[in-house]
Amino acid sequence: MRLNVDFTAKLKKFGAETTYECFNCGNCTAICPLSTNEEQFPRKFIRYLQLGLESKIRSSVEPWLCYYCGECQQTCPRQANPGELMMSVRRYLTTVYDWTGLSKRLYTSTTWKFLSVGILFFATLFIVYLLHGPIVTDHTELETFAPAEIVHPAGYVFGTILAVILLGNVYRMHKFIMGDTKAPFSLYIQELGTLIKHFAIQARLRLCENKSLWLKHWLLMTGYTAAFILVQVDILTFWSLTNNPPPAWHPAKILWTYATVAMLYATTVAIIGRLKKEEPIHQYSHSTDWMFLILLWLTVFTGFLVRIFMQFDLPLPTYYAFAIHLAFTVPLLGLEVPFTKWSHLAYRPFALYFLNVKRRALEGE
Amino acid sequence: MSYDVMVIGGGIAGMEASLTLADAGYQVLLVEKSPSIGGKMIELSKVFPTLDCAGCITTPKMAATANHPNITIMTYCEVQEIYKEGEGKFRVKILKKPRYVKVDDCIGCQRCEIACPIFVPKEYEYGLIGRKVAYIPFEMASPRKALIDLDNCVMCGRCERACPTDAIDFLQQPEVVEEEVKAVIIATGFKPFDACLKKEYGYGRYKNVIHALEMERLLAPSRPYNWVLRPSDGKVPDRIAYVLCVGSRDKSLDFPICSRVCCMYSTKQAILFTSALPLADVTIYYMDIRAFGKGFEEFYNMAEDMGIRFVKGKVAKITEKEDGNLVVRVENIDDGTIEEEEYDMVVLSIGLTPNSEVVKAFKNVEIELDPFGFIKPVSENTNPVLTNVKGVFVAGCAAGPKDIPDSVAEANAAAIQCIDYLYEVGAKVVVR
Repeated sequence: MRLNVDFTAKLKKFGAETTYECFNCGNCTAICPLSTNEEQFPRKFIRYLQLGLESKIRSSVEPWLCYYCGECQQTCPRQANPGELMMSVRRYLTTVYDWTGLSKRLYTSTTWKFLSVGILFFATLFIVYLLHGPIVTDHTELETFAPAEIVHPAGYVFGTILAVILLGNVYRMHKFIMGDTKAPFSLYIQELGTLIKHFAIQARLRLCENKSLWLKHWLLMTGYTAAFILVQVDILTFWSLTNNPPPAWHPAKILWTYATVAMLYATTVAIIGRLKKEEPIHQYSHSTDWMFLILLWLTVFTGFLVRIFMQFDLPLPTYYAFAIHLAFTVPLLGLEVPFTKWSHLAYRPFALYFLNVKRRALEGE
Repeated sequence: MSYDVMVIGGGIAGMEASLTLADAGYQVLLVEKSPSIGGKMIELSKVFPTLDCAGCITTPKMAATANHPNITIMTYCEVQEIYKEGEGKFRVKILKKPRYVKVDDCIGCQRCEIACPIFVPKEYEYGLIGRKVAYIPFEMASPRKALIDLDNCVMCGRCERACPTDAIDFLQQPEVVEEEVKAVIIATGFKPFDACLKKEYGYGRYKNVIHALEMERLLAPSRPYNWVLRPSDGKVPDRIAYVLCVGSRDKSLDFPICSRVCCMYSTKQAILFTSALPLADVTIYYMDIRAFGKGFEEFYNMAEDMGIRFVKGKVAKITEKEDGNLVVRVENIDDGTIEEEEYDMVVLSIGLTPNSEVVKAFKNVEIELDPFGFIKPVSENTNPVLTNVKGVFVAGCAAGPKDIPDSVAEANAAAIQCIDYLYEVGAKVVVR
């Protein structure tokens, strides 16, 4: 086993500031409702950090089993912030899984963050400027402004690229976690239920003492999923990118209203929480946490504005809002989903999936 | 009558400092807040690492202090105001709280106590048993005089009728007396940590979670039930756990320093169990065993050899079961497992927190406190008994957590430094 003596310094950029505060009393591991004898954390990982056991951390699945409820943070006798240290390890692992190297730059460099968000934002605006259709000003015709036959295919291409990158990262994660363990293919099929269940309801987050965390997270998750599905099916339903918006009782619109309210509520609460720093989960904010929240909030809010302006039949504001909405959506999805914070939507359920597969494979041997 | 030194606090440090000064021929005024001198030491069972009976070595000191011709004791009194009016000149105002008993007339016969119909929790026994409203604080109290706790009194007058010497006087009023002294020694000791503040251990909610001072009483020769019984149902506990560092070395409570005594007093109590409850299993959960004093490490090793289980790991939480048993959750650092063990009783080894309210009495000078709230000596290493105000000295736990030998040594150091100061300001020695 190799020790990386610079590991602690390296992890500081990911938010691990208090590694050496810890005196290994084990309070955090014992108070954690999720930590078990088989998968122990956080103390074990703080120990790894202190010792510079980089290879151990790279092949671990436990960081993804911590949901940062903050119990450990509140009672730590050294105020070493075990929860935040686990969060930093997750940030680090995200860069380990990412094969493009962009993730590492986004996490460790402010310049890269601003530059990549800025480039994607203005590039999107520029593309909208180049490709937009005729601007009708006597009443709102969004479909004429942004032709569906351009927007939808572009969206699918963009989405496919992101999915390929993310799944590539998941494949690398699989390699790190499974190590030398070989699991039969049938186990991967049998355990698919675990993957779907944890993707859909985040069952483990409900084991935390603070149940409101789960509720807020689930609102955000379902809101986003609903919005995602609605955008995907718009090519069939024509409820959004259309010149004749359907009435308010249209199922797609009702679902859309839920998605907007849920996401706006959850992100606003999270932003206020991080400013107030009252709850342990909100006390320490890495720059990427802010990047995610602000981009998401702006995306949802501009989407909401598009809908309002359309409702009141304000042509120019609708077109501008739509362009800006797109310009926030592209960096949000393009940078957050495969490379930074939002990638946990795949890593968390996949971690549990790989863990179960590995465990059963080892039992079978 | 004028005094040379006022000693604030009648615990072991205050008594020791008073005795040294008095033996040197100075007039000492010893002011104690509670109705009896003796402090925390008189509450203890045995002392570590010698296992001497605490009461047996404190009572002679109490008697010597009480009977010394050069010491005047004011119990049940509080120092309210202190003015430094120049070197060797302190004007002090002392509040004499009414005992509702004429101290000179009371003969300590306890007839009032027998006659009194009201029971309230007994402070000296940490509420483990009751006392009457007309009461003598505890058997070895000095002065052994009754007092009436008027807050709980129903004014039935039975004590007044029972008293053979007509000592009961319900008309007593609080009284402020003014004295002049040449120097002041602060020996106010410590406050035990309020275990309720560590919520995850459930003290105050779970009946069978008690703190170590309560256990001291259960193990003392003058113990309340003459047996160790757990509070919820009076069962003799079979399995007992100790949780160390409760209220010390804990930044989440803003108290990062070590209390210096809980490792050793917990070990001592565990050793006492081998005779008090020979069949009980005792487990001590610790973060580090700090056995730093003379004979301490040997004492700890002896405890291990006696079969007391020492487990490295900070207890994270305690949960209560229906039958009153307690489940302790901890990571066992040595073998790396998460342990959930059931116990009949859990003892919290509480730390020592500052008891420095007396600094507020200094009206025209300010006594410096350290970041933790203890009185700050001018130099922790080279001059541990001098405060920033000349003529004011500190001894014992008032300056920080410490054990009995250190407190006694510090009390003597403070007395000697005080004598030096008295000589400087020209105090006269009374030659006996």
